[in-house]
Amino acid sequence: MKMKKTISIFLMFILIISIATGCKSDKATSSNGSDESVTITFWHHYNSQSAENKVLNEVIIPEFHKKHPNINVETVSHEWAELHKKILVSTSSNQLPDVARVDIAWVPEFQKLNILKKLDSEMKDFKEISSNIIDGPMNTAKINNNHYGLGLNTNTKILFYNKSMLDKENIKVPTTMDDFFEAARKMSKKDGKQIWGYGEPALSGWNICPFIWSNGGDITDKEYKTATGYINSKKTIDIIQKLVDLYKDSGMIGFNSGDIPLTDGYGQGRYGMIIEGPWKFAELEGSYPDFEPMTAQMPAGEGGSVQVLGGEDIVMFSDSKKEASWEFMKFMTDKFAQIEMAKVGQIPVNKEAIDSEEVKSIENFAPFLEAIKTAKPRPPVSTWPEIDNEITSSITMAMLDDKPVEEIMNELAVKIDELLETANK
Amino acid sequence: MRKRVQTCLLLFPGLIIFGLFTIYPIIKLFVMSFFDWKIGLNQTSQFIGFGNYVRVIEDTVFHTAVGNTLMYAVITVPCQIIIGLAFAALINCITKFKVTFRVFYYLPVITSWVIVSLVFKYIFNNEGLLNYLITEILHLTNNNIGWLDRPNTGLLVAQLLGIWKGIGWNVVVFLAALQCVPKQLYEAGDIDGCGNFKKFFYITIPHIKNTILFAVVMLSIGAFNVFTSIQLMTGGKPAHKTEVILTWMYYKAFEARDFGYSAALSFITALLISIITIIQFRVFKND
Repeated sequence: MKMKKTISIFLMFILIISIATGCKSDKATSSNGSDESVTITFWHHYNSQSAENKVLNEVIIPEFHKKHPNINVETVSHEWAELHKKILVSTSSNQLPDVARVDIAWVPEFQKLNILKKLDSEMKDFKEISSNIIDGPMNTAKINNNHYGLGLNTNTKILFYNKSMLDKENIKVPTTMDDFFEAARKMSKKDGKQIWGYGEPALSGWNICPFIWSNGGDITDKEYKTATGYINSKKTIDIIQKLVDLYKDSGMIGFNSGDIPLTDGYGQGRYGMIIEGPWKFAELEGSYPDFEPMTAQMPAGEGGSVQVLGGEDIVMFSDSKKEASWEFMKFMTDKFAQIEMAKVGQIPVNKEAIDSEEVKSIENFAPFLEAIKTAKPRPPVSTWPEIDNEITSSITMAMLDDKPVEEIMNELAVKIDELLETANK
Repeated sequence: MRKRVQTCLLLFPGLIIFGLFTIYPIIKLFVMSFFDWKIGLNQTSQFIGFGNYVRVIEDTVFHTAVGNTLMYAVITVPCQIIIGLAFAALINCITKFKVTFRVFYYLPVITSWVIVSLVFKYIFNNEGLLNYLITEILHLTNNNIGWLDRPNTGLLVAQLLGIWKGIGWNVVVFLAALQCVPKQLYEAGDIDGCGNFKKFFYITIPHIKNTILFAVVMLSIGAFNVFTSIQLMTGGKPAHKTEVILTWMYYKAFEARDFGYSAALSFITALLISIITIIQFRVFKND
């Protein structure tokens, strides 16, 4: 009897241990044969609210599987900010996926962490593949003359305006910075529901850089060594001051925690103008199908009409299953996948895809392709996320506190200099 | 002997899981807090002694976060206890519908933090329910008030949420305690001619002192662990003015990749909570 009890306890113990250890899946390290089937994981932030995610899982992946029956692709969808965090956390626990679609602004940071594969030295057909992709996006993953990813899609922002609101005030579409601020002020009204001339969803580099650059200012020098004399230059301070004044005169809104979300504000006619990317069309189409968005180029200042270059690269991590991952990356940057993604608002980077009839017939892309010609990337330094955070905090303080803008920018310059020094170590 | 073996065998699985998922991470975290922790592949972390601790203590955002957290505790803990005790005393007086009321007050407790945070965000948004009431229905003012945009009001909303969500737990705990107070004492009080208030302060409160202590300690620890509501409603905005300790810890670890700093911060927080708990025990013991 006692024996029985002991045995049953022992069995239970074994069971629990096996359950606990059974949760750990072991990673197959490599595929050597071509007839063996391989599974690779692909992390991305294709938007699940618009059709992007659907196209990936229902059109692109099945097509890839048809061509490469021995490669299974497991796709995992994240939110944009979550993906960044997830990759960082997975780095420390060595649980990275094989392939990921990452924001171009993250590439320097990930490269510094040593988690990205050098494609040009590892892949034999790299030159051939990269020559199919236009230079700008291809160079977003180029660090110290090595390539760590392939350009996947590109974007920038343009001005969206509400035509009926402009007409009501008898103003022309703003083409210069001065016109823009004047238009924003004129459109702002408080009779019944408050209306703001301009909506901006955040105050980070992505949002503020275009204003600084277009006004002739800058964040850092060309070498990304120092911010002093650039982020606190007269031209930079001047444009920040203009934005602060516009906010204080209730002509701009959108970045506070309690504000109306951008798509709703613009779609409901509460925000007269917004500056946004090509994905906005799909979002507006989904929520406000009757609304007619109108677009124009970023208003030009002393520095011209300069927007911020956005977009995504597709990268492979250090201990990925090399061959299978590379096949998938090639497929994602090839004509078929690029055209399918273009149909749901992702601007292609593959030369053939750009010249194809399907893409040319997408009328929404034209202004963005125009804006990309003069768009600039955010400083490609590994500490950019922290610099970005400092910029956000400082501009927020300028908006909400009564501290002089010049003082805030001088303090910001010192902080950014420190972070640039860390990056250049 | 055989019994002992059996006991050990039965304890073993639980201990292994506890050790693996609780003890080991804590030790690892402690080690981490003395390093400039690097997360990349083949990168070596540098030992910097108390460097992270010094950085935390000198950090101005950390000061703001501690201030906000303390403020949160100072406001939510007493309010929850006073309101919870008041409702418990009232429910204790009635004979019918006791269970109904208890369920009613307990509902907010079992709802998910995420859901109620989003609901509160919806109410306090600039175009939210509350502003609609103030401007359109009551006509108190013409301008929407930016509840979540300003540091003070943003924290106030989080405190309100904390109080509203915590009352039910207090009601249930105090109801159980109140039912343990001997009836004879109240009868004796009646004979001595005590009013209801006197009975409450001289008979009820001393009898449930231990429960109050328990509630104060639990709620204080809870208040120090406030995270979800702030993260979802203000996200620490504007300019880190509404950060609390945990949101700042989360930010430094997962946004700024500063794991050493966050590890040090978590131990400093643990120390703070221990000190506050010890003080609370002392204060109650001396009475």
